[in-house]
Order: sequence, then structure tokens, then C-alpha cells
Amino acid sequence: MKYSLLLSALLSSAAFSATAQTAQIPPQTSTIQVVCPTGTCTTPPAVQKVQVINPVSVYTPKPKEDVLPIDSSLRIDVVGQGVAPMNTASPAQAYALAKRAATADAYRLIAEKVKGVRIEGDDLIKNMMVQRSTVRTTVRAMVRNANVVETTFKDGLCEVEMEIVLSHAAFAH
Amino acid sequence: MRSRDGNCTLSCSFCTLILLSSLALNASEYLISYRSIVKDAILYNETLHISKAMQKCTGTPQTSLILPKQNSENIQKIIHNKMDNFITYIHKLGISVEHKEENINYQNSSTTILTMHTRCFKVDFNDNFARITALK
Repeated sequence: MKYSLLLSALLSSAAFSATAQTAQIPPQTSTIQVVCPTGTCTTPPAVQKVQVINPVSVYTPKPKEDVLPIDSSLRIDVVGQGVAPMNTASPAQAYALAKRAATADAYRLIAEKVKGVRIEGDDLIKNMMVQRSTVRTTVRAMVRNANVVETTFKDGLCEVEMEIVLSHAAFAH
Repeated sequence: MRSRDGNCTLSCSFCTLILLSSLALNASEYLISYRSIVKDAILYNETLHISKAMQKCTGTPQTSLILPKQNSENIQKIIHNKMDNFITYIHKLGISVEHKEENINYQNSSTTILTMHTRCFKVDFNDNFARITALK
């Protein structure tokens, strides 16, 4: 008799604890207000209770950020290289011509960095062999207010270091 | 009877026309264009065209360049004496860059073209210097 009473007490306590655990997790409900989108509904907007079974995060695009923040500037440094032609009259002429070529190369590098490069490639394959492989790159840009920092000329090679400072105000038209 | 100065209006208008056209031609405004071509890192061609403006330019003055006059009011001579300074000035004003590079069977060739399209410049001559100002 004692054992049966003890067993029944244990069973009832176990059952009570089980009910208590289930009571701790209420069904996840959320209220969604349904509003008539066109405004032609006759009935007033009803409040429905919807059970969210498996909530999925909805993708929300981030607001567009400026590449260059306001009140900030970006400095771009490049080194252009140019070579003097073989048939120059004097070393001074060689230097002048190489410097022009190096300046053009520096402008090209700035344009590539700021605006980007367009690349096209073609491969001709015949009988499982590459006959002709071509890569073409083009750059088109307008460069203004670039500064020559330093020019060096050594062994027929001229190097022009050039910098450009980009500010947000210059592009905020 | 016809008076002695009967054709005054015609002659006056003719003189005014000549005066205005001469003033326009003597205006110190020049049209300048520049182009340089670099092929495979070697300067291939460079052209600088300078001509007097046939009509008055409109636009606001930009930055100026001061070059020594060297007893000459010929702008071509003045610029050619200080070509390097003038080209640096032109580059700073803004230059169009066009670059094409081609790699065929692993052999590279490139062409870079720097262009300043025809632009009006105002030139003021002082005693010793010429001030060149770009108009925009």
C-alpha cells in the first residue's frame, strides 16, 4: 500500500513537471495587420493572428554608400615609365621625349585606377590547338589637376611620379 | 544738287566695319589644341596648333600661366621657348586620355593618345611677360 502511494505520488509529480515544461513554451504568435492596399475594401482592416513556424530573414538591400565620403579626399599615386627613341640628336632631346612618354603613361595609369579598364579577349582554337590568343584593353578618361611629383631619368628610362587628389566635392555635381 | 558729304553714312559705316573687324582680329585670344601619341612607351608624335581667334571667345577665365615675353609678341615663339611649362599647364587644365593595348600571342603593343581639344586662351602682354589664361 505504501509503495503504491509512493509510486502514484512520483507519477503525478512527473506528469505535473511535464505539463509545466509544455506550458513554458507558448506557441509563437505574432499579430499582422492586414490593410487593404487599394483602399476599396468595404470591411475594416482585421487583425489576424498568424503563427510563425520558421521565420526567414528577408533580404533588405543596404542603403547606397558613397565610395568617397563627404569631406574626405583620396590621393592616388602612380609612376609612369617612358623610353627615349634610339635616333635622338642629343641626351637632352632623349630626356625630353622620354619624359613626355612617361607623362602619358602616368596619365594612363591614373585613368585606369580612377575609371577602370575595358578588357576584351579572343582565343582561336583549331584542331585542339590555340592558333591565336588576343587580349585588348582600352581606357578612356578625362584627367584634370594631376601633379607631377618627381621625375627621374636613368639609363634611357624616364620615370614620372604623378599624383591626383580626388575629393567628394569634385564629383558631387 | 548733291552735297559734298552726301555719302557720309555709307563711308562711316564702312569705316566702322573695318575698325570693328580689325579690333576683332587684334584681340589677344587664341585657339590652341594639343595632341601627343605615345606608342610602346616611345613618343611617336606631338602636335600643338595655335591660331588667332577670328571671333570673340566667351567664357570665364580659369588659371593663368605667365611666360617671359623675350621682346616678342608672337605667342607661338613665346610658347615654344617655354614648351615644357606650357604643356604642364595644359595637362593641368584637363586632358583626354585614350589608351589601347593589344596582346597578340603574348606580344604586347600599346598606344596612348593625350588630347586637349581646341580651346580658347586669352593672352595679355605686359612689359616683360605674357599672361596666358584659359577660358571655359
